[in-house]
Amino acid sequence: MAILRWRGPGFGSPFQELERMRNYMENAYSALANGVNQLRRNYTGVFPLVNLAEDEEKLYLTAELPGIDAESLDLSVKNDTLTIKGSTKSEPAASEVNYHRRERELGNFRRSLTLPVKVQTEAIEASFKNGILTVTLPKAAEARAHQITIKNS
Amino acid sequence: MTEVTSQEINVHEKTPVDMGGAETTSGGLRFSPLVDIWENEQGLTVVADMPGVTAEGLSVDLKDSVLTIFGKVVQEVPERRSLRREYEVGDYYRQFSLSEQINQEKITAAIKDGVLTVTLPKLAPAQPRKITVVSE
Repeated sequence: MAILRWRGPGFGSPFQELERMRNYMENAYSALANGVNQLRRNYTGVFPLVNLAEDEEKLYLTAELPGIDAESLDLSVKNDTLTIKGSTKSEPAASEVNYHRRERELGNFRRSLTLPVKVQTEAIEASFKNGILTVTLPKAAEARAHQITIKNS
Repeated sequence: MTEVTSQEINVHEKTPVDMGGAETTSGGLRFSPLVDIWENEQGLTVVADMPGVTAEGLSVDLKDSVLTIFGKVVQEVPERRSLRREYEVGDYYRQFSLSEQINQEKITAAIKDGVLTVTLPKLAPAQPRKITVVSE
């Protein structure tokens, strides 16, 4: 049996009204948060920007490094931290030519990033193709998800 | 005495191409590549960052003094779960109006390590021509 009966035309329960307000605020907040996330996903402000993906066995890191001197690329892993270093190829000096536009960035870079799981450091592979660096990092045995078989007794 | 320190690279987020409301038919993203353009007596050189573009996916075109560069990026979509996404992948497209007279037959384009280099040699400067005025 209902103790309170507030239902009438155009007049909801006060709790319904509070619930409605709460939902409204939550929606407003999540819309705002989504908007910010779309603009700045995991923005760190350190070159190069990276994408990281995984499957059961490995982590895959990619970075766009156009014009990077492959010889200068240096990758190292210490504990859970991967560090990428390198530098770009040089261009003609401003004294030799007249620049109309200069938007590309030249110089050195260094970025460290913490890996989400332990990896087998000795089995890391890296390739540089068409200006994209791909690093494949096999997960350490303890970081892999174990499939547990359920015995049917 | 100042120590010469080498320059650190700043992060540039990719700029989507403003299509004026039009969408690509493939539904993919399209970015405006960062470029350097320089000029010397021989001609113009356009250098554009287009990581992921191969020679097969590249088109460079000069028509009515407008240079158009387009690079197709073929993205493999493997079965992987994304953990962190700082940049988006898409094609590259940009146009430039050229004021110089270019020798169209001698334009060359090359792409290496995701960097496109287009060299546009200038036409030989027009020789001053003496015009004889014939009096009648």
